Amino acid sequence: MMKTLRLLVAVAAAGLLAVPAHAQKFPSKPVKLIVTAAAGGGEDTEARAIAPYVEKHLGTSIVIENQPGAGGKIAFEKFQKVEPDGYTLITYTFPKSVIIEYEGATGYKTRDFTPVFAWSRSSQLLVVNAESWKTFEEFLKAAKGKTLSGGLSGRGSTTHLMGLIALDELGINANWVPYEGSAGSVAALAGKHLDFTICLATSAVSLIQAGKLRPLLLFSDKRDPYLADVPIPKDLGYDMTFIPTLRGVEAPPNTPAAVVKVLEDAFGKAAAEQGFAEVAKKRKIVLQPVGSAEYAKAVSDVYPRIAKLKDMLKK
Amino acid sequence: MDVVLQAIAVVFLWQNLAALAGGSIYGVIIGVLPGLGPSAGMALALPLVIKWDPVTALIFMGSLYKCSNYGGSLTAILVNTPGDASNAATILDGHPMCQQGKGGVALGLSATAAMVGGTLGMICLIFAAPFLAEFALRFGPSEYFLTALLALSIIAAVVQGATIKGLIAAGLGLLLSTVGFDVITGHLRYTAGWAPIEDGVPLIQALVGLFAVTQALVLAESATSISRLAKLFGGFWEGVRTYFHYPVSIVRSSLIGLFIGVLPAVGQSSAGLLAWADAKRSSKHPETFGEGNPEGVVASETATNACMPGDLVCTIALGIPGSVGAAIFLGVMIIFGVIPGPLVFTEKAGLIYSLFFALVLTSFVIFVIGMTVGRRLAAMTLLPNDIIVPLILVVSLLGSFAIRNEMSDVFISLAFGALGYVMLKGGFTPIPLLLGLVLGELVETNYHRALMISGGSYTIFTASIISKILIVLTVLSLVGPYLGPFWKNLTQGEK
Repeated sequence: MMKTLRLLVAVAAAGLLAVPAHAQKFPSKPVKLIVTAAAGGGEDTEARAIAPYVEKHLGTSIVIENQPGAGGKIAFEKFQKVEPDGYTLITYTFPKSVIIEYEGATGYKTRDFTPVFAWSRSSQLLVVNAESWKTFEEFLKAAKGKTLSGGLSGRGSTTHLMGLIALDELGINANWVPYEGSAGSVAALAGKHLDFTICLATSAVSLIQAGKLRPLLLFSDKRDPYLADVPIPKDLGYDMTFIPTLRGVEAPPNTPAAVVKVLEDAFGKAAAEQGFAEVAKKRKIVLQPVGSAEYAKAVSDVYPRIAKLKDMLKK
Repeated sequence: MDVVLQAIAVVFLWQNLAALAGGSIYGVIIGVLPGLGPSAGMALALPLVIKWDPVTALIFMGSLYKCSNYGGSLTAILVNTPGDASNAATILDGHPMCQQGKGGVALGLSATAAMVGGTLGMICLIFAAPFLAEFALRFGPSEYFLTALLALSIIAAVVQGATIKGLIAAGLGLLLSTVGFDVITGHLRYTAGWAPIEDGVPLIQALVGLFAVTQALVLAESATSISRLAKLFGGFWEGVRTYFHYPVSIVRSSLIGLFIGVLPAVGQSSAGLLAWADAKRSSKHPETFGEGNPEGVVASETATNACMPGDLVCTIALGIPGSVGAAIFLGVMIIFGVIPGPLVFTEKAGLIYSLFFALVLTSFVIFVIGMTVGRRLAAMTLLPNDIIVPLILVVSLLGSFAIRNEMSDVFISLAFGALGYVMLKGGFTPIPLLLGLVLGELVETNYHRALMISGGSYTIFTASIISKILIVLTVLSLVGPYLGPFWKNLTQGEK
């Protein structure tokens, strides 16, 4: 017993001595990166793809830990209480954490997290079966005539939010049919069980290329280089608000600015690496560096937009 | 034809054969560890293969994915712990066979099933993938609802003999399937504010509890070993021979497995259970199922192994993943520049046929692994209980923890262990509970979706030809068990 105590004291003393050293040089030990979804999904694949390049620029190893469950809520709750020393980071598809906040009581607030860097941005796409409408105008005319059924990749997902905003601004109604993930809603559209589907461009791209599905509108202020001929609302004369979907990393609340700077630089350089760009190109991910300050702005911007749709989300 | 021959030749390059063998062995190991399924296995292997040639890397990943199921059957048979949800039904007869000392025979059965089921499934994938994918697209919410209903009706056959207890268990399973986030309405149900069950009752954690923990408790009651007679009877080759005694079951289970696999929305975990229940229903001695009837292992393992190629049908032909594992395989294919979809058969024909041919070969690799290494594991059933019980508990609970790195999952497993123990002592079988748990959400969400699309009109459930066929099959399945005796009475007259 005495022995253990003595050992504990020694370890504690060593820990105390080590503190100033930490503050001087970050990082001095491996960094843990929490993925809020199971191994193998989109978030996980991107994290594992960028990790080796971050290791190169950060000069330490990255340990990826998957913490799926309740759409990431379990991971977010734990992350709120993590030591803000920069050795534990989280990666997820923003703004899913904000949506969870509006769905029920949470112990965390996304606005408390410290944004570090985001490397990609994705936009939602309106797709229909290729045997139905040819243009967005035709679709809109049909949608004003009768209530169409639209597939969602999940209730309370970003596709749901974007769909609600779009329909609200276009002045049409739809029967929303939620699925678990986009596979179900895309398959149902290809089988003509639904009239349209809103999903991320990446989920429908192979059926679009094969001519089974037709993209009508990309909900973004910029065209997607991988779907260059798909119009955006601006092209058609609509002024629409968008919910940007970012993939990047955040640090726990109150992480020191100096540490964030080191991490931001490392992730920024990693995202610019040729090897990572190649993986992104194959997965049709639109790379767009979003720095800490810009990320923080995206977070504060998204709150009022989601708040506006809060009641619709719960319907 | 040239393309196909060339593709086959590519598989025989040394690096591809090595990738095939390596992926298969790694897959079996991943499968043996509870909690580590093919999804995690592929994610972990990705950094290793990322620099490889696409064909080699995809062969490695494909064999890993295909073989993990066999690893799960090993633990299911030997220690009552399913490696993955798809092996749950293998336990039912596989483990009782071990208790009778026929562990080697059961291992022979499962290795042969992996070979035969896997090959039959692959043949369908190779020759009919675009056609099967078109067929799968015709399944909308109403067809899925009716398919799930047909599957649930099988409970009627499973519970025969102990109808009341069976229905109680099925009801409990259906109730448990409603726990968590309701996909359609977005409400949280019966979670009591506890986040770990917001996604619903986690299936593998529940299975670990119902089978492994319960088993450990039962074993702890006596001082012998899993093989109650402390002896082994029959061996691997007897299992191989026995397998071919059930040609009807083999064909039926392969078809069930393939059908479940091809439908993207129906989880793989139900394939084995449904094939097992179907074999029991059509057997002349249904009461022997669950008591160590080899036919139960044949049905369950053949179906799960045929299910995986079925799962790849929509994944490769449409780019729509049929399961979590398939979704990850899809991601891996994309990373290597192969975009699954209708065009893949023309644009990347060579690579796809190499992959398909390699996956056919893995079926035989599994058999070889079973014949050389797997069979020896039967000796485990002779270990005394005071060694095997802690081993089962540690490995299975560790697996339960590893899935999400969540301590609460261990408690979920322990709770299901207690439930399983009480059910066992009360004479309940866990199968109706499992069927309810696996199928409940499918029934509910698709019923809801269909009515959302139709605007509340029930005619959507009878609109298509597929729906009409499914309804007829469901009715037959429900009244069938009672029709047989009735028919007998009618033709033979009252006695």
